[in-house]
Amino acid sequence: MRIALVTTFPPGGGSLNEYAFHVVRSLRQKPEVSEVLLLVDELPAGQSYPPDDETPGLAPLRYRPCWRFETLGNALRIRRMVRQLQPDALLFNIQFASFGRGKLAGALGLAAPLLAKTLGLPVVVLLHNLMDTVDLKSAGFTGNPLVERVIRAAGTLATRLLLRADLVAVTMPKYVELLEGRYGATNAILAPHGAFDEGVLPPTFELPPGPLRILTFGKFGTYKKVDTLIEAFQLLAKRSADPLELVIAGTDSPNTPGYLASVQERYNHVAGLRFTGYVPEEAVAPLFHEAAMVVIPYTSTTGSSGVLHQAGRSGRAVVLPRLGDLADLIAEEGYSGVFFEPENAWSLAEAMAKLIDDPTYRQELAQRNYAAARGLPMSDVVDWYLLHFQTLLHQRAPAPAIAQPDVALAKPQVALTKPQSAQSRK
Amino acid sequence: MELTVYEEIVRIAIVSPKSRLDAFAAPELRERLETLLAGTNRLVIDLSAVPFIDSAGMAVLVSAMKRARQAGGDVRLVWPTDDAARRILYLTKFDRVFVMADTVEAATKEF
Repeated sequence: MRIALVTTFPPGGGSLNEYAFHVVRSLRQKPEVSEVLLLVDELPAGQSYPPDDETPGLAPLRYRPCWRFETLGNALRIRRMVRQLQPDALLFNIQFASFGRGKLAGALGLAAPLLAKTLGLPVVVLLHNLMDTVDLKSAGFTGNPLVERVIRAAGTLATRLLLRADLVAVTMPKYVELLEGRYGATNAILAPHGAFDEGVLPPTFELPPGPLRILTFGKFGTYKKVDTLIEAFQLLAKRSADPLELVIAGTDSPNTPGYLASVQERYNHVAGLRFTGYVPEEAVAPLFHEAAMVVIPYTSTTGSSGVLHQAGRSGRAVVLPRLGDLADLIAEEGYSGVFFEPENAWSLAEAMAKLIDDPTYRQELAQRNYAAARGLPMSDVVDWYLLHFQTLLHQRAPAPAIAQPDVALAKPQVALTKPQSAQSRK
Repeated sequence: MELTVYEEIVRIAIVSPKSRLDAFAAPELRERLETLLAGTNRLVIDLSAVPFIDSAGMAVLVSAMKRARQAGGDVRLVWPTDDAARRILYLTKFDRVFVMADTVEAATKEF
């Protein structure tokens, strides 16, 4: 199967680039995948993607830059590229602002799955957030109620456009239920985030030597803010006998350029504070391994959390805000953590102190998170996508094509059971 | 009269877990299913007594199905009776991908 993926991808710094990196690594290892075509965004002048990768034993990886953040013609350009490449299946790895933070560019780009589907190939959209659940103010879109209503209406329209794909995969159970309940969707599926499983050493659960490191990781500035975390860290440092270090790893969100620089300037008097800047993929796992705990300092959420999954895979305890999506994720996927009240430095300091003061509890949470992450590695999640693609291809294929090896997994379902009505579901 | 008679015996393993299929139970189930799949490529997994399945549990079932189908067989599921266990099948739409049956007898019949 030749799979095309519309996404951002390292060295591009766009949102979801790391997730794409791990999806692609898994995809290339699957025997049923013969080629991975990356339909990526064009990089700024002076940057470029590496050459196509034809490492033996892996599906070849080819880069085809064909869209640009904040421009209006992305949907048409992507369709043209898909028509030229003629992949067997097309996967979009996107969220609502993938194609632009400008409302028009962002919305027009989201028509790309619908346009691509007119070419006749199976199209699956992995949608990392839903406009219906995003706190637009916290997420940096708008604070104006009137503008918010307009954005919400556009979001509803964009969601309907996206639901014209063959399948829309979301990472949270409640998102599937929302799409079914509010939009009447019958093609929304749950495809959990999955834990990044490549190149990660088994964790030791022991603390490394040196100061006790508290790690936060992400693209900061909108709903991922570090101000409260730094305040909490200062409170913690005052009462702690042991040296502490707060590592703020990552970059500004594309929506808030300059945020981290301003934070760094404001808090340059705080001892033990370290800003890493951009962390290349190969350095991410060691960074997590060096941490005693991982803090997720969000003020709202827009879906599942890659940081939580990475912390789990690295066997680290997490401290996270008591927010709907994250609390659901903990309950649904078996992760554990210490909760704090969002934007409350005292509450956050107290939560972190729990893990510092009780190493046994910290290790217990770390082991539980590791077990949860191991339960659903990225490799398994990629299998889910392949299985859905094979089913879609089977539905499209003329009878003789069933014998093709790469669709052999997609057996038609035999009706051995009574169909369940939507109303019977709970 | 020249007559050739042969007997074809189809080996089907029937697995009936009785407890939660979650991230903590998943590794053991995965291991057990892999052992079974080394001996047959046809499995019926009777989920009727399973009270809860999460994504990790679902992933084990999917992996088993993938492996069985690659070997020319299949994995068929008997519907869980508990709504908390049925939910993941609806959410993932794998009830449209697996061959689902109401009873073990129905699941084995078409193999």
